[in-house]
Amino acid sequence: MIRIDILLDAVVFSNLLVLMSIGLTLTYMTLKIPNFAHGDFVTFGIYTTYTMYRLMSISPYMTLPAAFLASGSLALALYLTVFRPLSKRGTSIVGLMIASIAIEIMLRSCMHIYADVMTRATPPNVFFRGFIIRETFWISLANVKLSGLLIASTALVIGLVLTLHLLLTRTKFGVAMRAAIENPGLASTLGINVGLVYAVSWFLAGGLAGIAGAILPIKLPCDPETGWAFLLRVFAATILGGFSSIYGAVLGGYIVGFAEVVGIYLLSLPPINLSTAYKPAISFTIIVVTLLIAPRGLTAVNWRAVAAKLHLVKGGVSK
Amino acid sequence: MIADPIRFLLDFTALFAVYLMLSVSLNLEYGYTGLPNFGKVLFFAGGAFVAGSVTARLVAPWAGINLAEINYSIENVKVAIAVSKYFAQNPGVAIGVFVFIILLSIVVGALLGYVASYPAIRLREDYLGITLLAAGELLRIIARNYEPLICGTLGVTIPNPFAWMGIRAQELAQIALMLSAAILVWVFVEKLARSPFGRMIRAVRDSEIAAAAMGKDVVKARMTSLVIGSAIAGLAGALYAFYTGAVHADDYVPIRTFLVWVMVIVGGAGNNAGAALGALAYVTMDRLIAQYKHYLAVPFDVNYLSYVFLGILLILILMYRPEGILPEKPSRTIDFEKVVKRIEGVKEEGMLSKLLKKFRRS
Repeated sequence: MIRIDILLDAVVFSNLLVLMSIGLTLTYMTLKIPNFAHGDFVTFGIYTTYTMYRLMSISPYMTLPAAFLASGSLALALYLTVFRPLSKRGTSIVGLMIASIAIEIMLRSCMHIYADVMTRATPPNVFFRGFIIRETFWISLANVKLSGLLIASTALVIGLVLTLHLLLTRTKFGVAMRAAIENPGLASTLGINVGLVYAVSWFLAGGLAGIAGAILPIKLPCDPETGWAFLLRVFAATILGGFSSIYGAVLGGYIVGFAEVVGIYLLSLPPINLSTAYKPAISFTIIVVTLLIAPRGLTAVNWRAVAAKLHLVKGGVSK
Repeated sequence: MIADPIRFLLDFTALFAVYLMLSVSLNLEYGYTGLPNFGKVLFFAGGAFVAGSVTARLVAPWAGINLAEINYSIENVKVAIAVSKYFAQNPGVAIGVFVFIILLSIVVGALLGYVASYPAIRLREDYLGITLLAAGELLRIIARNYEPLICGTLGVTIPNPFAWMGIRAQELAQIALMLSAAILVWVFVEKLARSPFGRMIRAVRDSEIAAAAMGKDVVKARMTSLVIGSAIAGLAGALYAFYTGAVHADDYVPIRTFLVWVMVIVGGAGNNAGAALGALAYVTMDRLIAQYKHYLAVPFDVNYLSYVFLGILLILILMYRPEGILPEKPSRTIDFEKVVKRIEGVKEEGMLSKLLKKFRRS
């Protein structure tokens, strides 16, 4: 039997992954490139929150709007100064990808410089590498102690996915956004400002990554490499989700999150005794298996056809 | 002022040789074939790990060490020293083992290229890029934690296969060997690019559909290119490992891949001279930073600043000179006059010379 705390841990981990995966999917939908710098938007959120927490003693949950704005603005600025000009000049997909890797390394290096400078500038007992933020509240339910992070991250995911869903389906801007993503040429002929829609997508993507970053130090020790280390899992979640729908990203985030946390827990038990350091291998396996079996992700699979093939549904597919 | 000019020159040449091999191999994959190999470090590490994990273990029994009796992870330095001493007395064995390891690393690099590309090479370039990058990180994580490979976080020391020479002579020989390997690789890729295979991979790069319509096997062309490129990276990795004398998993981070990309894109993708120029420029910068970083009074590591600089440089090049400093040249064709002379040289009155006469009259 899997322990309840492992499952709760998996929920927190998955919530964080979902927040990151939605953002990555949003940027993927605009330029059709995987943004390798997405993890660094998370790191930027981490450092925004941590700096406010350390220097102004603000609770990490209170810094969420600031982290959202900071990472969102960073993503928007990068889109406007780098990705949009490159894309307008007709840079190839590989060119855009290598530009995003360049930004990734630049952001990570800047964060390292910031961590170095801040560690020297602050008193010796204040660290800017390998820090954690202590949890501020717990709630006891029956015999289970629920951490504030669990409650906050779950509430954030539900709230934000719902907001995004309403934005995309119930508002004029959201419908325009979907149109611009689906067919930019046609959308701009119909008077939709595609540039604005893409810019908003990047801002939202960065902002969601920033929110994930803001609460991340409550869960695990953070340093300038944290966001980068998460990137592989985020890719696994988005590839599994199909790279083209935010609901796919939510689904992928939960599957990858549970597979990693529960999977490595089971693999580390006696008969196998695997070191938990191999955790990223689970995400990598998910990427490879998805590419081999369903390269367009879970949301693009025709489940009725699969079920018919496996003789799960009698009579086969009607179409 | 350079503190130790000879040391500087030796290190410079060795690093240049390694990066030249890497940039030329990436140029083959990306410049000529259009493959986004974001996992260059994977194949580089593959070669280095072969040198690190096999060399000492292979020779240890001959040097009188029973590997079953000791904890190799902890005592690998001792083993390496003993094997180096054995090499010093048996030059023939040393040369044989060195050649064997180099060949093995080439094979392992090629195999890794084949395996890593398998799930994604049929798919779009973004998936291939992600898979290769992720595979590189995974290999590093495994190497860090799986002690039998390269002794985990401790790293492994490699015995010196040149130990039978004098101190300066062995270093000179090693660097001469590395440089000649790099030049050979450069010439090989240059010849390959001008061969029918080279024209075919460029056709695949420029239009996959058109190449397929002309009967070219696109998947096979890309795979071959990646396998050759990875074999070269494996060779570079093994030579680098022998030069540094040790292998640590954390030396093989994706930033190395990025550096090679900067070299190829700034130098000029699709032009081997550009790849060489890129490697030369980067190694010059890297060595100068290593020389002077201690004089700079900044509260952080200057290398981070150099990454920021390289990132900005790469993006500026992509924006304002996407073809790089030395752009790709159209493929060389045979001189027309030479063709005419060749045909005229044919004595008998064949169809060809009749045609030529007609052509001359008109």
